[in-house]
Amino acid sequence: MDSYLIAMVTLAAIYAMMAISLNLSWGLAGMVNLGLAGFISIGAYASGLLTTVLGWPVPLAILAAMIIGLVSGVALTYVTLRLRDDYLAIVTLGFAEVIRLAIVNELWLTHGSDGISGIPGIVAREYGYGFELGTLALALAAVALCYWLADRVRTSPYGRNLRAIRDDPEGTAVAGKNVTLIKVKTFGLSTAIAALAGAFYAHYTSFISPEIFQPLLTMYVFLALTMGGTGNNRGAMLGAFLLIFVLEASRFIAPSLPQFSAVQHAAIREMLVAVLFILTLLYRPQGISPETRHR
Amino acid sequence: MIETILQLAANGIMSGAVLAVAAIGFTMMFAVLRFPNFSLAGHMAGGAYAGWIANTMFGLPLPLALLCGFLVAGGIGVASDFIVLRPLRRAAPITLAIASVAISLFIENALRFGFGNDLRSFDLPLARDWVIGWLRLGPQQVQNAGLAIVAMLILFVIFTFTQTGRAMRATADNAGLAAVKGIDTEKITRLVSFLGMGLAGAAGVLLGADTSIEPLLGLKVILSVFAAAVLGGLGSIPGAVLGAFAIGIVEEASQIVVPATYKGAVGFVAILLVLSFRPSGFLGRRQT
Amino acid sequence: MVLIVRDLVAGYGAADEILKGVSLSVGAGEIVSIIGPNGAGKSTCLKVIAGLLAPRRGSVTFKGHEIAGLPARRTAALGLAYVAQENNVFPSLSIQENLAIGGYLNPSTRRRRSDEIMGQFPLLRERRRDAARALSGGQRQTLAVAMALMSEPALLVLDEPSAGLSPVAAETLFETIVAIKAAGVSVLMIEQNALDALAISDRAYILVLGQNRQDGPAADLANDPEIRTIFLGG
Repeated sequence: MDSYLIAMVTLAAIYAMMAISLNLSWGLAGMVNLGLAGFISIGAYASGLLTTVLGWPVPLAILAAMIIGLVSGVALTYVTLRLRDDYLAIVTLGFAEVIRLAIVNELWLTHGSDGISGIPGIVAREYGYGFELGTLALALAAVALCYWLADRVRTSPYGRNLRAIRDDPEGTAVAGKNVTLIKVKTFGLSTAIAALAGAFYAHYTSFISPEIFQPLLTMYVFLALTMGGTGNNRGAMLGAFLLIFVLEASRFIAPSLPQFSAVQHAAIREMLVAVLFILTLLYRPQGISPETRHR
Repeated sequence: MIETILQLAANGIMSGAVLAVAAIGFTMMFAVLRFPNFSLAGHMAGGAYAGWIANTMFGLPLPLALLCGFLVAGGIGVASDFIVLRPLRRAAPITLAIASVAISLFIENALRFGFGNDLRSFDLPLARDWVIGWLRLGPQQVQNAGLAIVAMLILFVIFTFTQTGRAMRATADNAGLAAVKGIDTEKITRLVSFLGMGLAGAAGVLLGADTSIEPLLGLKVILSVFAAAVLGGLGSIPGAVLGAFAIGIVEEASQIVVPATYKGAVGFVAILLVLSFRPSGFLGRRQT
Repeated sequence: MVLIVRDLVAGYGAADEILKGVSLSVGAGEIVSIIGPNGAGKSTCLKVIAGLLAPRRGSVTFKGHEIAGLPARRTAALGLAYVAQENNVFPSLSIQENLAIGGYLNPSTRRRRSDEIMGQFPLLRERRRDAARALSGGQRQTLAVAMALMSEPALLVLDEPSAGLSPVAAETLFETIVAIKAAGVSVLMIEQNALDALAISDRAYILVLGQNRQDGPAADLANDPEIRTIFLGG
């Protein structure tokens, strides 16, 4: 297999985890997470630091990253649970900004905007092609696991309750059920998966910096999920591959518009992402692979 | 010590006045449109650049540059509402909120495309700080706060004494009933988008006059703006003003205990505290 | 006739039909009541008349204009004032401001009407600077009716005006409605207290399951033994 293709599929797999994470909270439970990039960066930095600074083995570090992701997600939802979903949007957005500030400013730990380099691979980098293929296989396995987990959530009675909560925020349909607990658990699982995606990213690319985890990343994941089909885990995965395709295709902007500067090319690309997202919302809100309703 | 505290309080009141302008815009749009419009950030930056062009290229003084920022941001607000949000009016509030994030991304990058990422500053006369006793005040900050207060007073008059202002408040209270009484609520929604985003743009100009402008100018203060609105109770205009002054002062005071680089986190902590202990804010009614 | 409704068919979802062909009329200066059991479609009928719900079929003619399907603010402009059962005032606006919004479509007469109405309802004048939120249930209903009168309507459409009111407050409200009629305004209303409603009505319609069941002079219906047992709980 071609290295470029392997790299793209690996990246798509990482985005697929992020999209499944978002689908769990937003798609299934209607809890919006505008701070997804924050949870992803928590996972990336936790795993990156544990391996480079403390020398933890990679699998253990990834597990720890997921636990930290879970705990921060639970803590954050706990505050906003009794409130309308708009507050969760504001709080998660703020959370991501605070995480970004901390990463930029706590130089002693994170090296600020210089980032952390030399993060070990999940498979040792010395294996070259073996590293590439091995990481791809592990990433795909992780996606499969996330998909299995998320789909179990979706099809279980518990998932039915979730959808009932989402479609009827007043809570009449699920009277007597512990809505709070259901929501906290789901959001925690989703942020744990986001952290997993972040950790994978760190170990795959070996370098992380606050630049990578801008709010733009959250937007990318929203675009992936919306294009694929909100509420549908398969749609989430499909959307991740579509997103990689869109992002890669947008690389051709630069050579075809040489009169503009690099900054302008980046700006065009982000405007395209914004427009594509808005067009999807306006004309194909159910995505390519819509959620199948089963009652 | 007491001097430091008073100095920080004075600074906080001045920055709070500017925040209040944006927070009023945010909260009034929330009251009528019922979703948090995150594109406030992009509109702030759009207004700031419009004011900057008026000031540096056409040589207009700050109050007129402010008016330009208001009109341009308001215009962008009406356009983005018409193109993106109006067709989604029946969608869930969260869908609208996410669409508004995309709008902001678009505006910020349009600015980046046109003007680059460089910091730009207004062409304003430099003046020595005024020293009153042991209080030091920057004339520019004082002028900004003054302009912000004038803008708020104009708004207060519109809301309290004109029939259109009453119609806006009535639509915020109960849009269905407002329609029954003959109010064209779609027109009111457009007007609210214009005023709300216009205020965001005006706040952008004032922020730019204080320091400098860049495409992400709005994004950098948006948390403080949200915090002000949540603190005062989402949808409450007097609440947003009070909240903005409180956030302005607390942000300044926080510099005693944490590095100034964490100023942006203060708003977030304030939001968390308010939501934990008094979710409806200072002046809000209970929201569930 | 001020209002003529013919063969109205309407519902909310795609499948369900709540109104299955309702016809009724209101003459000038008449009080007309609609009574019937829960689920008969009374509120739906008023919503269609007020322009809050577009009918599937049928016509609504108001002062010679066909208004079926027109939005609420257009029917309001023609002189039809609708008062919902609840959420019928603006809680954060003062009483004076509520009245001003009531006269939104009549800017030239607003001030005069506001003075007249506050003369008619001294309580509203007394508390004109208070937020409507601070009013009691009965006072709130009075304000809602007063707001509707601001536009000098030809027809007042009331959805259960006495719901949730104490007997004393309800009686005051009914007196107000009679006074409104005396001023030449037609009234179409739904009432839970069917007997009280019939007592002040000229005519009434009985709806059952979205269809006309019976109609006639209010006094006749009130004395009909069958109707008394089935609908009036007496």
